[in-house]
Amino acid sequence: MTRIWASAAYRVAFTYSAAFALAILLLGVAVYYAADADFRVQQDVGIAEESAGLFREYEEGGLPDLASAVAKREAMNPADGYHYAVFDAAGHRVAGSLPIPRPDVGAQNIQLTDAKEGPEAVRALVSALPRGARLVVAIDSEAVERIDETILSLFGAAFLSVIALGIVGALLLGGYLRKRLARISGTAQAIMPGDLARRIPVSARGDEFDQLAIALNAMLDRIEQLLGNLRQVSSDVAHDLRTPLARLRNQIESVLDGPGDPQLHRPALKRALAQSDSLLALFAAILRISEVESGALKRHFARVDLSELAGDLAESYAPAVFDGGRTLTASIMPGLALLGDRELIAQAAINLLDNAQRHTPAGTAIAIEVTENSEGIALAVADNGPGVADADRALITRRFARLEASRTTPGHGLGLNLVSAIAAAHGGTLAIEDNHPGLRVTLLLPKLPA
Amino acid sequence: MRVLIAEDDAETARFVEHALGELGHVVRRAANGEDALHLGLAESFDVIVLDRLLPLVDGLEVLKRWRAAGLGTPVLLLTALGGIADRVAGLEAGADDYLVKPFAFAELAARLTALMRRPPMNDATTRLEVGTISLDLLKREVRRDGREIYLQPREFALLEQLMRHVGKVVTRTMFLESIWGFHFDPQTNIVESHLSRLRSKLNEGFASDPIETLRGVGYRMRAHD
Repeated sequence: MTRIWASAAYRVAFTYSAAFALAILLLGVAVYYAADADFRVQQDVGIAEESAGLFREYEEGGLPDLASAVAKREAMNPADGYHYAVFDAAGHRVAGSLPIPRPDVGAQNIQLTDAKEGPEAVRALVSALPRGARLVVAIDSEAVERIDETILSLFGAAFLSVIALGIVGALLLGGYLRKRLARISGTAQAIMPGDLARRIPVSARGDEFDQLAIALNAMLDRIEQLLGNLRQVSSDVAHDLRTPLARLRNQIESVLDGPGDPQLHRPALKRALAQSDSLLALFAAILRISEVESGALKRHFARVDLSELAGDLAESYAPAVFDGGRTLTASIMPGLALLGDRELIAQAAINLLDNAQRHTPAGTAIAIEVTENSEGIALAVADNGPGVADADRALITRRFARLEASRTTPGHGLGLNLVSAIAAAHGGTLAIEDNHPGLRVTLLLPKLPA
Repeated sequence: MRVLIAEDDAETARFVEHALGELGHVVRRAANGEDALHLGLAESFDVIVLDRLLPLVDGLEVLKRWRAAGLGTPVLLLTALGGIADRVAGLEAGADDYLVKPFAFAELAARLTALMRRPPMNDATTRLEVGTISLDLLKREVRRDGREIYLQPREFALLEQLMRHVGKVVTRTMFLESIWGFHFDPQTNIVESHLSRLRSKLNEGFASDPIETLRGVGYRMRAHD
């Protein structure tokens, strides 16, 4: 019982049927008392009318007429009808068979002791007649009691069957709820040891449980995706940091094993310092990507004027691009804004501009464009350089993707990956297309309504 | 100059303590938030380096209590990598500058120097002069030896920054923060390319270069050219 009571499903079902049974019980009690009171009033009205009729007989012909009327009525009436008694002032019975001594005046309940039928309750109206005589008209209460009993037993049966049906219903309902919930907890238990691919079964009914299951499954999808991401980052970090760390270690070791002249150590130490700086930069980039991917920065999103930002960046970059022997032109539609993080958007644009410089030969024309289309606002960086082969285009947004062609150029292979994460964090997409000739990278972002 | 370092990592603290000592500063160290809170209020410092994460009392909490107690000493907040979202909280709590760990010591030193001798905020200054170079903030005009030099807005801002911190190092990231508003290192060369343009415009026809480059650290304007 404690186990069943510990289940919310059973508890709810039981409580519900108990409340229902209680309602039936209250209704039964109310009906019982109302009906009983009503019948008794009717009885009183009946004996009062009967007394009034007999009183008229008395007025017409005195005690003898009354006595004969009583005798006549007693002879006519069956056993269940009225009972009468007439007493004179001295207390002697003048007429009627009601086996009681001379009572006081007024309506009253009288207990009879019948030798055959045992004690019997009657309702009596005792009227005073002139000169001390009394008229008693009584009616058997047995009929009322029978009706009362019927009412009681009907409601008692209803109460018991509600309880019985309630228990059965509660058991069925509780079992059903438990079964549905067990599917959810079963899935959760299967996931806990590590089986992240498990999902809660969803039925075609589309009820509350199915909606809950759908929501939980969506959450599980997201968690699985985030965990996969995390796993990817960890293995990437392990893989890509091991080689430079090992190189750094070897460098330090060779200095320690080498000649003791500190002056000879300087170049090696400088190389080691540069190496650790680039390791830190790589580490910072990885952390930044996970920070962006976690979505935690969304809280700080505010209005960013993309047109202004891109114009600013174009102006800031033109000298550097020019110094590198390339050209940078800007074509920016004014007044386009989005909801986001200004520095992240700037970082994305900077990465695209850096890529366009890093992976193209001198003389390349680079263009930064901000346009609006039906899907949102687009920030594009295009160049007329050698471009990227069709097959490689999907590869380059991956973490640590370095195409063979760019093995020798500086960079850690995280630039476009960060851009792609930034696009996703802003609800946008990153498109990499052929610029005929060259490469066009477009950041498509949702527009902030003016 | 007296510097308080509130840092729980002994390695980092020792490194900073030693390097600042070499530069002639007197350094006191607090290893936890409680000591930092107490020391900061009990003794007088020219600048404070405060770690964001401290045992016993959190760095931000220490800073808030200092400020609530009326301590006006410039505070540079140190934070771990990846805590970009923390920056706003740090500045709101009353930090004057912000540096992400791990950092190059030169960067820390340059920022501390800038904080220590921060001149009383005087927005009324409309004219800066260093040697023969003058910069008029109202007319947006730069002259060297009386000859006008035409600068782009960013180049003007770079020069203004250098002249405001004359004799002190201004690092790449300090420029990125104050001129471009980037609180991250975009790993790019915009500072270098603008500075080289500023330099060539400023030095055209002159024999000396008033801007020193400190490799891997930043730039410094000489007090006398």
